[in-house]
Amino acid sequence: MATKLADKKSVFFLLFPFFGLWVFFWFVPIILGIDLSVQNPDRSVSHWAGADSMATRQDGKSISWGSNLGGDEKGEKSGVKYVGVANYEKVLSDAKFYKALKNTFYYVFGSVLIILPLAFALSICLFQLSRISRGFLVFCLMIPGLALPGVISTLFYLFFHGKTGALNQYIVMPLGFDPINWMMDPDFIMPSLIMQSVWRWTGLVTLFFVCGLEAIPRWQFEAAKIEGVDGLQKIRQVFLPNLFHLAVFATVFLVVDGFASFSGAYNLLGGSGGMMDAGLLLVTYVYQVAFPGGSGQFDFPGAAAMSLLVVPVTAFLLFLVLQNRRRLLLR
Amino acid sequence: MRKLSGALFLGVVLIACIYPFGWMFFSAFKTNREIYQPTLFFPMDYEWDAYNGLFSGEYLPFFDYFINSIVISGVQAVLAMVVTAAVGFVFAKYSFRGKGLLFGVALLIILIPKQAMAVPLFDWMLWLGLQGGKWSMILPGVASGLGIVFFRQVFSKIPDELIDLARVEGYSGIKTFFLLLPLIGPALVTYGLLHFILSWQEHLLPLLLLDDQNLTLPIALSKLRDSSHRIPEAVGMAAGVLSMVPVLLLFGICFRKMKTALVSLSLH
Repeated sequence: MATKLADKKSVFFLLFPFFGLWVFFWFVPIILGIDLSVQNPDRSVSHWAGADSMATRQDGKSISWGSNLGGDEKGEKSGVKYVGVANYEKVLSDAKFYKALKNTFYYVFGSVLIILPLAFALSICLFQLSRISRGFLVFCLMIPGLALPGVISTLFYLFFHGKTGALNQYIVMPLGFDPINWMMDPDFIMPSLIMQSVWRWTGLVTLFFVCGLEAIPRWQFEAAKIEGVDGLQKIRQVFLPNLFHLAVFATVFLVVDGFASFSGAYNLLGGSGGMMDAGLLLVTYVYQVAFPGGSGQFDFPGAAAMSLLVVPVTAFLLFLVLQNRRRLLLR
Repeated sequence: MRKLSGALFLGVVLIACIYPFGWMFFSAFKTNREIYQPTLFFPMDYEWDAYNGLFSGEYLPFFDYFINSIVISGVQAVLAMVVTAAVGFVFAKYSFRGKGLLFGVALLIILIPKQAMAVPLFDWMLWLGLQGGKWSMILPGVASGLGIVFFRQVFSKIPDELIDLARVEGYSGIKTFFLLLPLIGPALVTYGLLHFILSWQEHLLPLLLLDDQNLTLPIALSKLRDSSHRIPEAVGMAAGVLSMVPVLLLFGICFRKMKTALVSLSLH
């Protein structure tokens, strides 16, 4: 791929919108976040005039935003105290943070490890079918991914969960087990969250895989036929290598989405971590720290510190995925 | 035998994907008592109360939320398409000093999701005076790291000869970019759709950033649910069905294009 020197003006104008937005709506908030994370959480409430209104929004009351700006500027001058890394220390010594971290890992790995093989198997099944029915069926598989997370969790709540819910009626009880309380039993909260994620994303990943399979050049199949490669061997030698880069892409997408996932757990568990915090995910916990319900104190600096602590974790995970992509393939 | 088990497997997964949505569709006509029996598929009789209630704004201005969602996601998707494609084009086809660094910097955006920075973003929007308006939702979502990777890949499949030709004709880089856009139509549509979906599903940011009159569908849905059974469940179901309509339509129309783009992207 030969690249060429371009006229400087064009390069600038093509890159400018993106990097302008990047600086304005990503970089600056991050810097503000870093600044926020080293501030004293007990500063004057006037600075956080917006906080009350944000919190009341949770109760669905109507609020006015007009007066926030004045209070904000005043607080900026007077109430801010810097406390160094105290917020980070507080987070790192917080058992609940580790719980949330562990849950998030569980959630991310669980979903990736189920979604990828499932989507792979589905795409191979679909690949045997004719083109038209294949397209139609992939579209049907994608429907849960198109739904709002709110719809997903409402359906989960009303349809799947519960003693008379579909999961218990059609799967658990026919197998002879006692009905499971999918949202109250601490052992099963995470599996339910993972199930939601699987239900939601498998279709999209399957679409990627099916398209990857359709792009396999015909000679590879002919070569496989001549060599007498069939069944499992064909899957390993023809299908898997061709889908590999798509699997890496899907993994990155799922990892990032898993770490940022908020709405599923929020809708399902109402912003709490569920019974014994068994379903507490990182973003939910950040949100909880920032906007504790009832008489709790808003701890925005703590929340910011926590958000920033997650970054190296995600970075490390993605690094692992990208570094080991060759080894994953060859096993 | 293998075929049969494959078909069975496919069938089970398909039912798991479609049946709940069928149930949701019919549940919009049911009474609460019927909805609490998940094994019941069809309602006893069809009541349109839920839809009527939504459209008359009896519970909340649902129609306004609906329009807000469409405007925010639509504008964001279109902007994201053009903005990210331009960056992908430059990274795929041109070389200049600091390119590698710039690419790495752009990809950093993948690492820190904007949801994690919601609180400082709120502060910043307040300072900018955008807070509460639709632009506060639209602008932060436009820049996306995965989009750059995607479009760089797309443009690297375009033969260099075309760029040369454009240069011989004396076109500037900007003009070349816009001339190439129709060539990558399917990829643009694909990316636009995916971006639309992600922005359509965003929950945390609108909760913090938007004024009451600018709220979006995900918030509407959770409001309809968490008023602790004051509102009939059927209303939530109806809202869910309505929230699916635009996305299903868009995907139905563009699905073929999307598949073409994804297939050609993985061609070697």
